[in-house]
Amino acid sequence: MKNQWTNYYTGYVKVKAYGKGAERLINMLTRRGLHIWDVKRVGSEALIFHMDIRDIPKLRQVMRKSDCKVKFMQGKGFPFLMKRVMKNSGFLAGMIAFLLCIFVLSNMVWGIEVRDAKPATEHAIRKELDKMGVKIGKVQFFVDDVDTIQRKLSDRIGALTWVGVELKGTTYHFRVVEKRQPKEVEKTSPQNLVASKKAIIADMFVEKGQSIVNVNDYVGKGQLLVSGLIGKEDKQEIVSAKGVIKGKTWYKAKVEVPLKTKFSVFNGDETSKHFLKMGGFSLPVWGFKDPGYEKQEKETTVRPFHFLQWEMPISYKQVTLRSKEDIVRSYTEKEAVEEGRKMAKAELKKHLDEEDEIVEEKILHESMENGKVKLSIHYQVIEDIAIGQPIIQGD
Amino acid sequence: MARNWGKKVKQLMTKTMDLPQDVMMDLPRITMIGQLHIYIENHRGLLAFTDSEVRLMLKNGQLLIKGNAFVIKTILPEEIMLEGKIDKVYFINE
Repeated sequence: MKNQWTNYYTGYVKVKAYGKGAERLINMLTRRGLHIWDVKRVGSEALIFHMDIRDIPKLRQVMRKSDCKVKFMQGKGFPFLMKRVMKNSGFLAGMIAFLLCIFVLSNMVWGIEVRDAKPATEHAIRKELDKMGVKIGKVQFFVDDVDTIQRKLSDRIGALTWVGVELKGTTYHFRVVEKRQPKEVEKTSPQNLVASKKAIIADMFVEKGQSIVNVNDYVGKGQLLVSGLIGKEDKQEIVSAKGVIKGKTWYKAKVEVPLKTKFSVFNGDETSKHFLKMGGFSLPVWGFKDPGYEKQEKETTVRPFHFLQWEMPISYKQVTLRSKEDIVRSYTEKEAVEEGRKMAKAELKKHLDEEDEIVEEKILHESMENGKVKLSIHYQVIEDIAIGQPIIQGD
Repeated sequence: MARNWGKKVKQLMTKTMDLPQDVMMDLPRITMIGQLHIYIENHRGLLAFTDSEVRLMLKNGQLLIKGNAFVIKTILPEEIMLEGKIDKVYFINE
């Protein structure tokens, strides 16, 4: 017996046969090799049966010899379904349009939520996001990815210690941890001011307390500068000494600058290739050419398509190739020295406060060795050297 | 006489060689599943078909099936599968 379920896909018809000898018709048909099923008697002189759509020409041939009549009642199966669908193509178009709408809407940004932020910070974040193009109604593909947003936000907004960016469906969630700018701690406990390092006092401004040293005095580390004990010996009072003691301090720095340095730099040439990724397979959509860079760096971003809350197995992949070049930077000895000084100064400034200033810079020693310039530089810096030291009162 | 002879030889062969008789002797093979289905192989054509009666041609004689709500599930030149409520199966020898 033939498998029946395939009939659905090839299509079949429901036929009504009238007249005497309908049984004979069926015999004739089966003998010609037609596949007939679900034969039913209706009334006294009619039969209903089903047959394959491809056997209709054979049926016609048989009908010429037969003395009964047939009528096709209904077509069934896939070809007829398609025909009906085409007839009602409006519905189909509507369905596709609907799915397309949902698909597009699922890939848009529909909400931005900022949590745990002060109103001012939130405003700043929203403004920054606006600048970046993260807005309600934007398509997610043209918006930076989550990591980039996170990096840019924490770079651009100073008040943020950390910002967590999460994309849940169509909503961006931002969790913010703000920097707690420490408030000036009111020093109420009695204290002295002592030197934090050896220095020559350059300038003094004492708010409270009694100064022990004078300008141009040399002080060692831990030496008392301003005493918290004031008043005469019989009427001594203990206060919290306060003030700014600027001292000249010394720093020594050693730098090495190679005359020749190899760098790998991007020369600005880049090409993007676009792919549709399905599982492990990437279908190129745009950018088929191989740019032929000698050296290159590859950056791949993959963004899945969404449908409602689900991620689809299809994703959009972008590969950016950036051309790299090797550059040899060479200095003359003079330039190397200059560069070394700059480097050392920049390094020193990292360790200093903003108010501190470098007043003098002296190269103590300069030598050439193995293609490198070695420098040792001496700096004079004026900085605040006073630190508090609590006075422990004895009974 | 000669025909009879042939028949006898066939019968003997099937007996001695243990061959299925429906193959050798063109007899119908009828399979029934309760009263629900009847499956007949080796028929020679449909003679009459109504809701309550089916008449099939055999090589020798006819097969009459009575019951109700008959539907022919499939029909091929030598096979037929009938569905419905089967009450009686008659062999009519002419």
